[in-house]
Amino acid sequence: MSPAPASILRDTPPDGGWGWAVVFGAFISIGFSYAFPKALTVFFKDIQLIFGASYSQIAWISSIMLAAMYAGGPISSILVNRYGSRPVVIAGGVMCGIGMVTASFGNTITHLYICVGVVGGFGLSFNLQPSVTIIGKYFQVKRPLANGLAMAGSPVFLCTLAPINQFLFNQFGWRGSFFILGALLLNCCVAGSLMRPICPKPTGGQLTQTNGTPKRPTTDRSEAQVNGHNTQLEKGCLENFNKFLDLSLFKHRGFLIYIVGNAVMFFGFFAPVVFLAPYALSHGFDEYSSAFLLSIMGFVDMFARPLTGLMANTKWIRPRIQYFFSFAIIYNGLCHLLCPLASGYGGLAAYSVFFGIAFGMVCALLFETLMDLVGPQRFSSAVGLATIIECCPVLLGPPIGGALVDTFGDYKYLYLMCGAVMVFAGLFLFVMNIYNYRMLERERRQEEGQGDESEAEETKLSHA
Amino acid sequence: MSGQNRNGGAEGERIKKRKALATDAAKCCKISDMFVSKGPDPLIEAEPMEVYNQTSAVLSCKLTDPPSTVKGHYWMRNGKVIESSKHNLPTLYTEHTLAKIDSHSGGLYECVFLSEPEVKTTIEVKTAPLVSAYKRSEHGNEKDKGVLVCVSYGYPLPTDWKWYKLEGEDKTAITNGTDRYEIKSTPNRTTLTIDNLDIAMDIGDYICDGTSEFGSTSNKVHLRVRSRLAALWPFLGIVAEVIILVSIIFIYEKTRKPDEINDDDDSGSAPLKSNANTDHKNKDVRQRNSN
Repeated sequence: MSPAPASILRDTPPDGGWGWAVVFGAFISIGFSYAFPKALTVFFKDIQLIFGASYSQIAWISSIMLAAMYAGGPISSILVNRYGSRPVVIAGGVMCGIGMVTASFGNTITHLYICVGVVGGFGLSFNLQPSVTIIGKYFQVKRPLANGLAMAGSPVFLCTLAPINQFLFNQFGWRGSFFILGALLLNCCVAGSLMRPICPKPTGGQLTQTNGTPKRPTTDRSEAQVNGHNTQLEKGCLENFNKFLDLSLFKHRGFLIYIVGNAVMFFGFFAPVVFLAPYALSHGFDEYSSAFLLSIMGFVDMFARPLTGLMANTKWIRPRIQYFFSFAIIYNGLCHLLCPLASGYGGLAAYSVFFGIAFGMVCALLFETLMDLVGPQRFSSAVGLATIIECCPVLLGPPIGGALVDTFGDYKYLYLMCGAVMVFAGLFLFVMNIYNYRMLERERRQEEGQGDESEAEETKLSHA
Repeated sequence: MSGQNRNGGAEGERIKKRKALATDAAKCCKISDMFVSKGPDPLIEAEPMEVYNQTSAVLSCKLTDPPSTVKGHYWMRNGKVIESSKHNLPTLYTEHTLAKIDSHSGGLYECVFLSEPEVKTTIEVKTAPLVSAYKRSEHGNEKDKGVLVCVSYGYPLPTDWKWYKLEGEDKTAITNGTDRYEIKSTPNRTTLTIDNLDIAMDIGDYICDGTSEFGSTSNKVHLRVRSRLAALWPFLGIVAEVIILVSIIFIYEKTRKPDEINDDDDSGSAPLKSNANTDHKNKDVRQRNSN
């Protein structure tokens, strides 16, 4: 039975109303989380001179920040499970602010490593996980669109933070800038305050009757959504919040497929972004043109994410969203494989456009597919575990790429490697999801069979 | 002019012949080829030997007694080949014109003749060095370090660097190691570092002066010192904005909470009981068949 709007149950998410304010809050949080470590690089040249350190020592600041952001995943999952999204995001905003403000008084690199890297990184992880989690609680039907819109925060913030950082640096120097950025990061608290807690109510015995059709009992199962996946509703809010980290996820077939596929994918995901400008420089283009390629990519990315969300929301794609995700990854890989063929600035610009689209597509679907596989209830634990496992390939990818470039002296091999890795990951996910969909279909039919029996009993009882 | 001195009548005749034909490049070579088995050392006449304080010049090189046939010639500046000067003619005379001599065209010029082995000689083109501030205006934070940098281009590079602080019309010399100043200089770059910047004393113009055999050229750098508290005002402003927004959001939530809490969960879904929550603010109330 295809659920018409009138048949959406009470205990499913609102899909609108305050939800859009939550999307905006998530937009801000996600924007800061992903864009801030990258935008910090504007200050590195000057800090390098002042502290007399080498470039790689300074680059560690960004790396530690990213590592802390990913490694803090399970911790923020536990906290979200316990306290809900709002307090965690507000705490995260305060942590980031304190981290940056104390960093502005630092005199050694280690001071920066700790204040910006560790404290700031954990603060950002307390922003990232809860934001994606709460979208799953507020949206069901329009969830891919909401996810796409929220993830668009990353390129938008990157494009705005980079010039802001440059301006702050010219006006106030690096210390003043860090001081002011600490205040800017407190805006994450504003985002957090928008994330009003929402609690899926237990339906306990109330049968919904719409259009006169009797439905099966809903105590522990929500109505099958458009995509045909059943999500398990825990009974009551308190039970949700009292759980710590749901480690039983490691027995969840969909989750395992997801992390294996994604872990492989992330090896080749970020390296092309990092090396785009140096690649252009090696072709003989000047610094500004090379940097402009990144701007093209970021600009296209900005629009690609909400559009992908919109596409993923359509009734043709939503049921097969995992295939769409695999397609996006394979498309990404193909872009990289074809990149060495690009010649001249026009070719590289075209590559940037296609890469921007591909990058945006994958990012927009990244958390949506995980939500789709494990359901909103277990999502907060799932995302924490997923990010800490993805931490390794995310951090190792660019250095391995750099090593490839150094050994062969040619960027071609880097792109071939990244392309191959991503095509492989995409194909793996595609094949495994065919298997997963089939198994889920089989399980659903089994449950339906059992459900019909108990339904018949219930109606007998109600008529009695 | 010619190479080795050889004694003997026949030899003496040859030497005379060689001298007579020395200016004729083509004949000179043929004769050399004919008579000299192990030739005299090739000699290049450079004209002028050194360019000093001229606005333009024509550099020329003339090769006598090349060790083999010359396949071509070209010019180099500071070790880099000048592409437009490459010629593949077997002439023994080459010219290079410098229409305007400034700090960018000065340097060590070499004319190279492509023979086996190559022969070349150097002509120095000297100009007054160009001294420019790396950044016209520098910023520093109070009590922090301030760094002023001047760079120079040209040939020869300054051998001696001096820094002055401009106060009105007078300039006071800054000595390395005194007060809070430190000067580090290399021929093409000089750095003045001021420790523990003071807003009252250190704001102003500084002059870097580079001295070479031409005399000295100087340039000006302006130093601005920011107060420690400069960043405080934007900081407080943003914190205030955050507090205000958060308060608004929480207050909005509290005032609407009694009515909102049911609306929130029901927006988009059908109401269960037909008589419950009739004051929906939501437009999405859907009517259902009542049973």
